[in-house]
Amino acid sequence: MLEVKNVSKVYGQETTKVVALDNVSLKVNSGDFIAVMGPSGSGKSTLLNIIGGLDRVSAGEVILGGKRIDNLDENALVEVRRGKIAYVFQQYHLLPSLTALENVLLPLTFCGISNRTEKAMDILKRVGLDKRARHKPNQLSGGEQQRVAIARALVNDPELILADEPTGNMDRRTGREILSLFDHLNEEGHTIVMVTHDPEIAKHAKEIVVLQDGKIIEKAKQEPARPRQRTGAR
Amino acid sequence: MKLYQMVIKDVLRRKRRVAYAALGVVVSVMTVVGILTVAHAAQARIYNQLEKYGPNLIVMPAISNLDLRLGDLMLATLTIGENYIPVEKLRHIRQITDDEIRRGLGINNEGNIATIAPKLYTNTKVNGMPVMVVGIEPQEESKIKPWWRVRDGDYLNAPDQALVGAMAAELLKLEVGDMIMLTDGNDVAVTGILEETGSNDDYLIFIPIQRAQQAFGKQGMVSSVDIRALCNACPVETITDRINQNIPGVRAVAVKQVAEGEMGMMEKLSKFMLALAGITLVVGLFGVLNTMISSVHERVKDIGIMRAVGASHGQIIKIFIYEAIIIGILGGIVGYIAGTLLAYIIGPLIFEGIAIAYVPQYLLISLMVAVLVAVVAAVYPAFRATQVKVADSFRAL
Ligand SMILES: Nc1ncnc2c1ncn2[C@@H]1O[C@H](COP(=O)(O)OP(=O)(O)OP(=O)(O)O)[C@@H](O)[C@H]1O
Ligand SMILES: [Mg+2]
Repeated sequence: MLEVKNVSKVYGQETTKVVALDNVSLKVNSGDFIAVMGPSGSGKSTLLNIIGGLDRVSAGEVILGGKRIDNLDENALVEVRRGKIAYVFQQYHLLPSLTALENVLLPLTFCGISNRTEKAMDILKRVGLDKRARHKPNQLSGGEQQRVAIARALVNDPELILADEPTGNMDRRTGREILSLFDHLNEEGHTIVMVTHDPEIAKHAKEIVVLQDGKIIEKAKQEPARPRQRTGAR
Repeated sequence: MKLYQMVIKDVLRRKRRVAYAALGVVVSVMTVVGILTVAHAAQARIYNQLEKYGPNLIVMPAISNLDLRLGDLMLATLTIGENYIPVEKLRHIRQITDDEIRRGLGINNEGNIATIAPKLYTNTKVNGMPVMVVGIEPQEESKIKPWWRVRDGDYLNAPDQALVGAMAAELLKLEVGDMIMLTDGNDVAVTGILEETGSNDDYLIFIPIQRAQQAFGKQGMVSSVDIRALCNACPVETITDRINQNIPGVRAVAVKQVAEGEMGMMEKLSKFMLALAGITLVVGLFGVLNTMISSVHERVKDIGIMRAVGASHGQIIKIFIYEAIIIGILGGIVGYIAGTLLAYIIGPLIFEGIAIAYVPQYLLISLMVAVLVAVVAAVYPAFRATQVKVADSFRAL
């Protein structure tokens, strides 16, 4: 469903030049769960941003559902963000003025859809946060905020979920809970690309891609290790 | 959740910032409303004075003084013309006046329109003291001098009565019921004493005009005629010109000219003050612009989040415009109140004894001006907000 072809990304000019991605190619098929690993500064976030149209390539192509999206103008990219792709960030990135429920509704608001409170509540329930729907982000723990962010990503029924170290800011236990949510989403058919440092987390993926200095140095398929009892939402 | 609801929630969280941005609008609107309110009150006061003036025009006998000279030697001054206007000319005067008013207002109803109050002045002695007795048409005179109040007794309602000005009553020691002998065999009874008016009227004695003509042997004559056309649009100048051209032996003078001069001054002054207000508007606009730009910087991350979950450039602009509208409404209301209060404080300092009154219609003007200023100020910051790159915005903080 998504293909990254010979993509390079260069930041800055001449003296300050940084090659964040160097001729990277990657195929993401429907139903995949890919873990992107690599040391800090290896270009993981850059790759994820380019896949989702949040950043521009310096060279190469990004093809989503058979169509190039790397050369789209801003307005067309907006449509990509509203439809097939959703993000979950390490820092949650919730709007502080809005309650959990309203944050979940936000993508619909930008699509011009209102009156979907019930749907948003259902999704909050799926991530186990229906009791916290009226709380503001600063009244929620990190794990809870990330659940809200996941719920927000799900509200548009995206095919592809991009997650940049979604458990990076939490302790192991909370991280495992979040991770089991992703496991469950993948089992439901969502395609997931997740950046992580943690080999334990990477074990949940069906494929591991390792980046170093902007290059893919390793690609390996694997049988996902998923503790049965942790699968699914609470 | 609609976009504007999201904006309202955001505004509620950032109350202080928004209030700060609104401050620029408040100051601008306050100045405009303050100036308008004071100007409005000043104008009302001038109109009031106009009203108090009584007649719009006065018709007098045309008298000219001619100096008789022989070389550099001044021999005498000759007064040419009559001292009185014959009553017959009153009809002609009324005809011209009503005619012009009808034309001016575009109406054609029959009957008398203008108030025409003839007067006959005579110097005489009462109780041994010299005093001026004025013959008037009681009904017409009361219409032309609506500020007249009878202190003791009643207004004129019979031929043999007299109405005495406040000072005249005091000086001549007259009371209601006293008899005044005008000439031999011509007595009138004091029926009422006027409250002080601060004008010449205080020193006069008023009696019905027919009685005066008869007592002083001036049948069919009047000394002058006060004319009041009770409308602002009445063509006083035209009436004056036509009377002067068509009726020989009289001279008509428009009274309004005086007040109009004052009005023109006032208008020039408020134009100047509004120009001043215009400058404050521009200053306020830049104030809002400045605050909004820093609010864009503060919210780079939020803008990035919104872009990442599907906000278009247009929606980002809308968000800022909505916020500007809220700032405008807030600033407009507060500015209106502050401006009105300012007028109450400043007004009496500029125009002594002025009665300031708040003008509800200015609230609408305030809101329009405030929203306009805020929205114009928001355009550039909103554009800047659309330039935020999603990927960079998350790194920024
Ligand atoms: N806007 C930018 N300007 C200049 N250099 C940048 C910019 N964004 C990223 N880089 C550089 O590109 C490289 C890759 O950055 P990236 O954020 O993709 O790394 P990462 O693998 O996600 O690291 P981490 O694990 O620490 O999040 C880094 O060397 C970084 O300094
Ligand atoms: Mg990163």
